[in-house]
Amino acid sequence: MRWEVFRQAKRGDYHKHCGDVHAPDREMATLFAQIQHGRRMTTESLWVVPSEEVTEIDADDTAFGGRTDKAYRWATAYNVDASFAQEVADSEEEQAEVEQSRGDD
Amino acid sequence: MAPLRALADLDDEERAAAESLLFRLADDEFVIAERYTEWQVVAPTLESDLALSNIAQDELGHARVWFDALGELGYSERDLVWERDPGAFRHSTLVELPFAEGDWADPILRGYLYDVAEDLRLDAVAGSDVRELVDPVEKIRSEEEYHLEHAQNWLERLCDDDAGRERVQSAADRLVPHALTLWVPGPAASAIDSSGLRGESLDATRRQWLDTVASFLESLGLTVPLDPGDDPTESLPDSVGSDGNHTDHWPRLHDELTETYRELGRSDVRRLRGEGT
Amino acid sequence: MDIETVKARAGPREFGRADDMPEEYREAATRMLQFHANSEIMGAYLEKPFIRQSPSVDRKLAFSAKVQDEIGHGQLLYRAAEALGVKTREEMLDELARGDGKFLNCFHYEMTDWAETPMIAFFVDGAAMKRQATLKQSSWTPYAHAMDKICFEEGFHVKHGEDIMRELATGSRKEQRLLQEAFDEWWPRILQFFGPTDDRSTHHDFAADVGLKTMTNDELRNQFLNAYVPKARKYGLEIPDEPRIRTDEDGEYYEVVEADLDWDEFFAIAKNEYPEGLDQIDGRATAREAVAWVRDSLTEADAGGPGATASAGGD
Repeated sequence: MRWEVFRQAKRGDYHKHCGDVHAPDREMATLFAQIQHGRRMTTESLWVVPSEEVTEIDADDTAFGGRTDKAYRWATAYNVDASFAQEVADSEEEQAEVEQSRGDD
Repeated sequence: MAPLRALADLDDEERAAAESLLFRLADDEFVIAERYTEWQVVAPTLESDLALSNIAQDELGHARVWFDALGELGYSERDLVWERDPGAFRHSTLVELPFAEGDWADPILRGYLYDVAEDLRLDAVAGSDVRELVDPVEKIRSEEEYHLEHAQNWLERLCDDDAGRERVQSAADRLVPHALTLWVPGPAASAIDSSGLRGESLDATRRQWLDTVASFLESLGLTVPLDPGDDPTESLPDSVGSDGNHTDHWPRLHDELTETYRELGRSDVRRLRGEGT
Repeated sequence: MDIETVKARAGPREFGRADDMPEEYREAATRMLQFHANSEIMGAYLEKPFIRQSPSVDRKLAFSAKVQDEIGHGQLLYRAAEALGVKTREEMLDELARGDGKFLNCFHYEMTDWAETPMIAFFVDGAAMKRQATLKQSSWTPYAHAMDKICFEEGFHVKHGEDIMRELATGSRKEQRLLQEAFDEWWPRILQFFGPTDDRSTHHDFAADVGLKTMTNDELRNQFLNAYVPKARKYGLEIPDEPRIRTDEDGEYYEVVEADLDWDEFFAIAKNEYPEGLDQIDGRATAREAVAWVRDSLTEADAGGPGATASAGGD
């Protein structure tokens, strides 16, 4: 049986997928995972999940976020200056990066 | 394949036909979106709320796509929405009916009936030779696939027990006649076909729609209140919408949605990113 | 973990679900998150009618997207609250419906006119965003993680609100007048957003001691006024003479004259006893009850969810 492993490098971080282990049950999966994925990389925590419980939906299956114009969802569409408040400017900047990487037209 | 023509290059008769086609496409999307938004904040769960809100935005976005095509024929958003007489809207009565509070079976079944129809309509206009009709289809369809799957999945779930199935059946008895109005030909029907604006006639599309809808709903243990052989005109409700005759619900809805525009005495609308900055 | 250890270790994103947190911490964090999540839901409830009342297609799309985002924020925050193990999401949503769940003062008032929308969508959201940005440093990691996503989205909300305000402020005289009237009505409520004035030098509450929050209400109110008063003036809004707000000699520290604000109303609201707020709580409760049958059908179906397929497949 295969188990997917997610590692959190330090407190407060997100758990990120880092690989898998083959093991017959949950206990052995955690034993194997801490060696295979936690013996060298800085590790605060691991999540170990049966692979068949992970459901995938990918960009071939669906159009994430849609494909018609959704500019109204983005801070960048509004013609007002965000620089008066750092947190608004930060949000706009983060959105601009994502919007660019999505490559919407 | 022959190159696509632009709407602006059509002759007068073809333009009138294209207008007629576009008004129905746009108005159906616009009004169903308006109704869907009524479920925002009051859907059964937070997740289902997010999903239906998204569908509403998709449909409103599709309305905007077709409004933009009408823009090529000289119409502004003001003409199309804010200052148009409610009697000049061409949508089907299916999309204008209000929801009863808590009747989640209604938006789900209505969405299903509408999404199957929209899918077939998109096929039909994709078979035309007019750029503004063909170009948006692929993007719109990518969103419609989700809508259809969403509706089917919910219907299967709701029909899983007797109480839920009864609610869906009651929605079907009420809504299917109104859904048939999507296929009522308007005065421009033959001009639309002869101008090559759709690859498939309205009548053929209706038959496909009924086949699809009936076989799916019957597979869920529901009864569809008409047979494929029946004359659909006999099952139509009193008003069909697309000829400008609507139920009383429509003028009320139109009045509500144009209220701010009128109260503020606006005479135009601003588009996002539309200010030349 | 005992409370002294928590206080000693308290820092940004220090604690998570794997930590054995003391009850006092879990309850304080639940209270804070539940209040925050409830506020997202009731804010969405207040703004929803303006999806219909938007005067352009783009505004309608934006309002729908914004209300959708807020429900999404509620979803994230209830999850961060649930992770504390005190209450389930359903319990919190039921408490909100019963009138036991608390939420922000500004969402207890009615909003009926378009010209009022920037009061929530710009000023209140702007104030909320000030607070939320600091909560990225919360010691409860699920809270901080929810804030990452919420702050990412909120920039759209505040800019959308400002854009509506700009359109009104540069519109007809009537629009300008309606905007000023809305501002006069909402300004005192907005000033109360951050609650009564703290004693800046000595006041430390429990949530600050354990790192759940990192800034006092006074600091946040002051930052907010520093950024948003000039914005209001930029759009030609006159700041009402009362409630009085004074600045110090450098013009950097704002003091709100507390006696000019209606604290009886504020505390009635805090107890869910304000009539308009009660109407909104009850309106939402009725709508929630009406779809209880759908939630029941989902719960029954849970048996066929994850786990049901676990015996199939695998290797």
